[in-house]
Amino acid sequence: MQKRAHTEGIGFLRYFVKGDLLTRLSFFLMGAGSLFRGQIVKGLLYLAIQAGYIYYMITFGAFYVIKLPTLGTVTQTKEFDPALGFSVIKPGDNSMLILLYGVMSLLLGIVVIVFYLMNIKTAYVNQVTLRAGGRLKSFRDDLKDLLDSRFHVTVLTLPVVLAAAFTVTPLIFMILMAFTNYNRDHQPPGNLFTWIGLQNFTQVLYGNPLWSNTLIRLFLWTIVWAFFATFLNYIFGIILALMINKKGIRIKKFWRTVFITTVAVPQFVSLMLISKFLHDQGALNTLLMNLGVIRQFIPFLSNGMIAKITVIVVNLWVGIPYTMLISSGVLMNIPEDLYEASRIDGAGTVAQFFNITMPYMLQVTTPYLITQFVANINNFNVIYLLTQGDPKSLNLYQAGETDLLVTWLYKLTVNEQNYSLASTIGIIIFVICAAVSLLTYNRSRAVQEEDQFQ
Amino acid sequence: MKKKESISNAGIYVILCVMSLIWLFPIVWLILQSFRETPQGAFTKNFLPLTYTTQNYTKLFTDTTLFNYPRWFLNTLVVAVASCIITTVLVLLTAYAFSRLRFAARRPMMNVILILGMFPGFMSMIAIYHILKAIGLIQSLFSLVLIYSGGAITKYYIAKGFFDTIPRSIDEAALIDGATKNEVFWKISLPLSKPIIIYTILESFIAPWVDFIVVSVIMKDNYNNYTIALGLYQMLTRENITKYFTQFCAGAVLIAIPITVLFIVMQKYYVGGVTAGGAKG
Amino acid sequence: MKRKLVMLLTAATMVVSLVACGGGAGGNAGGAASQAAGGASSQESGGAEAGGAEAGGDVITLKVWGPQEEQALLQEMTESFKAQYPDKTFEIELGVVSEADAVSRYSEDPAAAADVFAFANDQLRDLVNAGALYEVEREADLAYINSEINALAIDSATLDGAIWAYPETADNGYFMYYDSSVFTEADMESLDAMIAAADAAGKKIFMDVSNGWYIASFFIGNGCTLSLAEDGTQQCDFNNAAGLAAAQGIQAFVDSSVFVTGDDSVFTAGLQDGSIAAGVSGTWNAEAVQGALGDNYAATKLPTYTTGDGTQAQMASFGGTKLIGVNSQSAHPAEAMDLAMWLTNEENQIRRFEARQIGPANIKAADSDAVRANIALAALALQSQHAVSQKDVGGAYWTPAEAFGTTLEAHDTSKDLQTLLDEMVAQITSGQ
Repeated sequence: MQKRAHTEGIGFLRYFVKGDLLTRLSFFLMGAGSLFRGQIVKGLLYLAIQAGYIYYMITFGAFYVIKLPTLGTVTQTKEFDPALGFSVIKPGDNSMLILLYGVMSLLLGIVVIVFYLMNIKTAYVNQVTLRAGGRLKSFRDDLKDLLDSRFHVTVLTLPVVLAAAFTVTPLIFMILMAFTNYNRDHQPPGNLFTWIGLQNFTQVLYGNPLWSNTLIRLFLWTIVWAFFATFLNYIFGIILALMINKKGIRIKKFWRTVFITTVAVPQFVSLMLISKFLHDQGALNTLLMNLGVIRQFIPFLSNGMIAKITVIVVNLWVGIPYTMLISSGVLMNIPEDLYEASRIDGAGTVAQFFNITMPYMLQVTTPYLITQFVANINNFNVIYLLTQGDPKSLNLYQAGETDLLVTWLYKLTVNEQNYSLASTIGIIIFVICAAVSLLTYNRSRAVQEEDQFQ
Repeated sequence: MKKKESISNAGIYVILCVMSLIWLFPIVWLILQSFRETPQGAFTKNFLPLTYTTQNYTKLFTDTTLFNYPRWFLNTLVVAVASCIITTVLVLLTAYAFSRLRFAARRPMMNVILILGMFPGFMSMIAIYHILKAIGLIQSLFSLVLIYSGGAITKYYIAKGFFDTIPRSIDEAALIDGATKNEVFWKISLPLSKPIIIYTILESFIAPWVDFIVVSVIMKDNYNNYTIALGLYQMLTRENITKYFTQFCAGAVLIAIPITVLFIVMQKYYVGGVTAGGAKG
Repeated sequence: MKRKLVMLLTAATMVVSLVACGGGAGGNAGGAASQAAGGASSQESGGAEAGGAEAGGDVITLKVWGPQEEQALLQEMTESFKAQYPDKTFEIELGVVSEADAVSRYSEDPAAAADVFAFANDQLRDLVNAGALYEVEREADLAYINSEINALAIDSATLDGAIWAYPETADNGYFMYYDSSVFTEADMESLDAMIAAADAAGKKIFMDVSNGWYIASFFIGNGCTLSLAEDGTQQCDFNNAAGLAAAQGIQAFVDSSVFVTGDDSVFTAGLQDGSIAAGVSGTWNAEAVQGALGDNYAATKLPTYTTGDGTQAQMASFGGTKLIGVNSQSAHPAEAMDLAMWLTNEENQIRRFEARQIGPANIKAADSDAVRANIALAALALQSQHAVSQKDVGGAYWTPAEAFGTTLEAHDTSKDLQTLLDEMVAQITSGQ
């Protein structure tokens, strides 16, 4: 029993001390403890992992891992070739690929270490089981387990592998980039970039007034935007659903279909169209001028303040039908007797809305609201397609009045090639989102009760 | 009382009518523009087209040297079908695992996934591009399928919410009868999950039709493998908008029609799925 | 003890697939380390082939980037290029990347970028700094450029004493298009006269003031300068007294009732429906403008404008060129240079002019009656006396200049002009 007190790491050393020859061999040759005890397939798989990783590292990975601390030292060089008549360019190190493939190789290494430890444990368990006169699990037994007691492994492996490749690795790469000086002046292939520690963060937060001003202004606007985009859509969506679902309102299906149509038209189409529609010289201004309603065009998208209001209003157009769809079902779940009781107490429609409908909705849909809020902080599409962040302002660095942090980040990479600054901002956005979620998420009842639900 | 009721109903009808007009206005405008003959640019003095033509539609299919609409349409269809199948299976399996199976890594994994969703996505696009390149899949339709279905695990939330509402006792009865968890999933849980299956299919089928950022990072200059969204997006760039705006409208109408029909037909299930899953009532 | 078999299986496949790709990348050139440095697909497609091509006449694949409008033309030119070298087998792939986007598209993935690509000459410094270009060093190429290309175009391709690209066109500038039924030639001398004439006719004058490229016209016209310091940071004196006077001139124009701004599509649409009668733009719009104005189609140099000091200043412009560069990551640099030469030779510059009214950088190609008779190119030539090179304009200039123009266009008077100018210059010169 006392041995349990050992930490896992020391535990594995214990396996070495207490292990027999085959178990000890597993420390050097993966799968030995299975292969030579009759678990052929399993042993071979372990062995294949070891061989594969070694081969991978020798042919590909090791080069990048070794260069990871410096991110490359050899710059592109030229050498004159008299036969050709010009200097042939010899490629140097590519810092970006070193960073990416280095990270990839290390992550792969971690996976292999997990298998390595598993292999040792298996070997030891096999040893103990055999000594106790037990029978080892056959390959067939293992497969059977995977469809039943270990079904979660079967089910989650592929999604996890895909997520590791297309979400986790890129994410770590991106996070690390914030600690480098990867920008226009340090760009592959001609130049190298390298580690510069926290310099980007200090620059953004206080070192460079223009950057930090831009960050603060865009941060505030992002929060204002996310707040209105989330809650206005939410409230008006519910009101729309209530109106359509009200008793006595006919052709409910028709109304619903009208609004669903706007959900179904791809967002990039409707948004780009609306941006042309609301342009200074666009259709709406032309129409209003032709009708004589206005004499000068209204700068829907070209005046900072009006543009901010416009994007929020247009976002209502985009978002209300969707909320209407979602809330329709939930609204029907509100027990009718709650309304009945309040009606007897003399409460009007408005009072009912605030005393019954909203509290019920909020309680049930808090997780949805938080997700929406975070999604709106990162709502690239609406802003980028409508205004591209414009109108530009001299108060901001490489950004416009309606830019969110996330569209600013996009511009910094695409127009400025300032990848390190963009990554830094990406991390800051993440911290904001995480803070918002943590503050609210774990307090929400729906989340806390997740487990006891059934 | 009756009178008051009918007055408020009348008020609601008026509001609904006005709102419908506002909501349908841009769509009607889109359809009108797609039939406009001249000029072809985005800005005109006349709100309604002066003359109507169907050329914008026919040109999409006949004039394919710059904008290969039919090819892009097919690309998108292939990608949408493939990624829809893979994503749906993965999402449902993941959701089922988190809802029904209990294992040590469950909570930590759910938390990690929650956190993953908070990083702005496209920063990682650069890395994804080079990872795909390392595997030799770059600029292919298959790589798009991989990326679209790669995010499956992060979309489990609504489906999990749905599975949570199916009474657990049904599974337990089956397990006692000797069924494996695998069998429980396919034979018991799935048949009860029609709304969420349709919801997931619909969501994942539509994604490739509307995304243009991922495609632009992955496909870059490979015009032939563009999907419809990026292709249409190209029609509105500075150089092209004057000549192609009306064709853009026509192309947009053509993809909006099938999606709209899908939505309207599947409405009931979609609402059912999202309600049960997104907000546990 | 439960077994983790499926995880094992998938990890194995993952390992295998990674090994496969690693092997693929490493295998081409043998020694993994030496070659992994380049680590990119140019080597996958190129490394092995480069050796093979010389030995056995294998297929040489080249990729060319050009703007969308030029795809058909490029197709023709590359076909005739292939015909020039019957002993080699070329596979030439065309990609659509406009000259303005070349730098940003290149930097996304240099190794997958085109071997030969067209770009606007203001991107030269960025490209050279990024190590993206092969210097033009072959004697035959230099001889052609030095003897047959006009001096301004050569200068636009020169940086630190070396020529970095093959001049393709010499017309990347702007001037004034106008409707000759609205304006007389005398009107076109000064902006004030133009405004008066347009006002009388109830028409508008177009200029994209919220764009650094065009707004510089006023500042440089009044004697301000943009230059680059030794360390590459942008120098700008738009906030001095002359700059303030210029800004007051811009403000007067923007506030006048005939002013209209926007992008090219607004301009051409306005010409078509008759609301716009004149506008500042370049040769790329010549066809559209001519189509819209018909017999009244005319163009000339930019007018003078009244500065805040009450003096008349001639509006200046940027004079730029389009260049064709050879990617430093190209697997077949020699053939890529041949192709770049071919695309910019006299014959093809004439072809380009005939097809798209684009002003040739080649002296002989430009020396034809057709070129001289071209209204847009003649206007460009007139304006070129007041044009400055765009080489000394760095990336830091554009966004602040656009923001300044936007502020004026919005008639936002919350800050006075001098403050706005100071803010703009501070941003431009901040070195970021």
